[in-house]
This record gives sequence, C-alpha cells and structure tokens, in this order.
Amino acid sequence: MGIHGTKKISIYIKYATIFLIIVLIVLSVFFVWQYTSLRRANIISARESWLTAAVKQHGPATVSDVNFIRPWMTFDYINTLFNIPPDYLKNNLSLSDEGYPRLSLSSYARHNNMTTDEVTGEVMNAVRNYLTK
Amino acid sequence: MTFLLGPLLSFVLLYKYIALFVLEYIAAIIVPLPCIAMLLAVGAFASQGYFIFWLSLIVVTLGNVLGDCTDYGITRKYGEIVIKKLGIDRIRFFRYLKEELRTDAAINVFITRFAGYLGPVVSILSGLVEVPFKTFIFFGFLGDFAEAFIVLLIGYIVGNYWSDFPGIFNIFTSIAAVGVTLFILLKIQRRIVKKYSSHSK
Repeated sequence: MGIHGTKKISIYIKYATIFLIIVLIVLSVFFVWQYTSLRRANIISARESWLTAAVKQHGPATVSDVNFIRPWMTFDYINTLFNIPPDYLKNNLSLSDEGYPRLSLSSYARHNNMTTDEVTGEVMNAVRNYLTK
Repeated sequence: MTFLLGPLLSFVLLYKYIALFVLEYIAAIIVPLPCIAMLLAVGAFASQGYFIFWLSLIVVTLGNVLGDCTDYGITRKYGEIVIKKLGIDRIRFFRYLKEELRTDAAINVFITRFAGYLGPVVSILSGLVEVPFKTFIFFGFLGDFAEAFIVLLIGYIVGNYWSDFPGIFNIFTSIAAVGVTLFILLKIQRRIVKKYSSHSK
C-alpha cells in the first residue's frame, strides 16, 4: 500500500504538472499580447527611459487630462490634481454639501439625487473652463 | 473584484494612509481586494503630489507584513488541532507538502508575495507546517517590500495611465502563482522518485 499510494500521488502530480504547464504557456501568451498592446497604444514607450520618467516630477494636470476625471475622485483630489483654488468648484457649481471638499463625486451625486455622469460632466466642464480662461 | 475599485479609491483618497494600511492588511489576511490596481493608483497619486511615495511604501509593506503574520500566527497556534481533527495529517500528499514547504520555505514565501491570492494561502500553510518564524518574517518582508515598491513605482511612472496596467499585472501574478505551484509539485515529485528508487534498490 505504501509504495502503491506514493506511485498514485506521483501520477496525479504528473497530470497536474502537464495541466499547469499548459496554463503557464497560455498566460505567457496573454502577457506578451497585453505588453504589445500597451506598447502599440504608446503607453509603454521604448523611446523614453523608464528611469528618466521615474525621477521626473509630474507637473499639475492640464486640459488634456480633464477626461481622466472619474466619479470615485474627491473634490479635494481634483483641486490638487489640477491646481485649482479650493473654493473654485464649490462656487462655480454651487455645491452646498457640508463634506466638501472631502467628498467623492459619486457621493455628491447620491446625496443630491443626480446621476454620476451628470456630476462628472459638470465638474469636467468647470475644470476645463478654469484651465482655459 | 473590479467593481470594488471605485469605492476603495474614494476611501483611500479620503482617509489616505490609514485607509491604505487597513485595506492592505485585510487583503493580506485573505480577502480578495483589487490591491494591485489600488497600488498603481496610489503610485499615480504620489506622482501628482497627493501622496508621499516612501510613506505609502512603508504603510503598504507594514499592512502586508502584519496581515501575513496574522495568518501565520493563527494557523501556527490552532492549525495543529484542526489538522488532527480533520485527519489531514494522515493524507500522504499533505506530509510531502509539509516537508517541501519547510525545506524551501524561503523561496516559497518570497515568490508567493508576488502571486496575488496565493500569498495568503502560503502564509496560512507556513503557520500550519511550522515554518520557522524568522525565515517567514524575513522573506515575507522582502517579498512584500519588493512587490509594493515595483507596483507603486510603475504607478508613479505612468501617472494618469495607471488604469491601463492592472490587466498585465494580474497576468503576471497568475504566472507567479502557477510557477510556484509547479515548483512545489516538481520538488515533491523529485522527492517521491528519490524515495521510490532507493526503496526498489
């Protein structure tokens, strides 16, 4: 029984190994595919050294970054990201919520019976106006 | 788990390092949270001046190490009782697994810190098979630190484009998880073959 049981485990391990090797190959193909699509989209650029990018300080976001605004972002974060005065969004959008600016766009939408798309769109427009004025 | 990402990021933006520590700790114990995406975002926040990179790295590492130690501590204390009650110690494969996890504890603990959800599983098993605490904490810390550093740094470099990267990272963690499982199985197989050949002699 001793050797027989051990042999059985050995056979199961062989099957599991073959299965895992196949999974590993499939995952590697997906990995390469993802990497090449990131390269193609110019998100990973061969021309710019990653080390240079790491040490360079990112400046405040610009008008072209307004589309990155998402409902999970807080007003405080958006103010910092775009270097906007703390009261600009509050006054411009007539925000009355007490939690401002430590409040996410989605929470604000929920408290005021608005859709997140509506609030996000309004904030995007306000930020765009501020940056282009 | 991606549906959780939005609320988690709001939580992190509101409570910063405390939220980061709590979420990393919970995820390190066993709860499947989208931590890689969250760390990439925190790296991006650091590049925008909203977080401090090194402080984030310390907080994330600390949360992960404490989570790992919680898993290890619980199973080290109560694991033996559960194993005996369930009769797991009579399963031959478990005995081989125990031997392997003890022998190659350093490499298994280190690599599984990069293997996503396999990390907590190996922390639990490490306590269960009584991997020496010094080995577990040292290699666990190294792995947690390296993993957090790499993910935060990539988030820092790519900035606003961080959300394009969780996919490739998740594939990488799956490769690490499958790789470690293969390594463990092959080592067990080698041990069995060795034992079997010496027996037949």
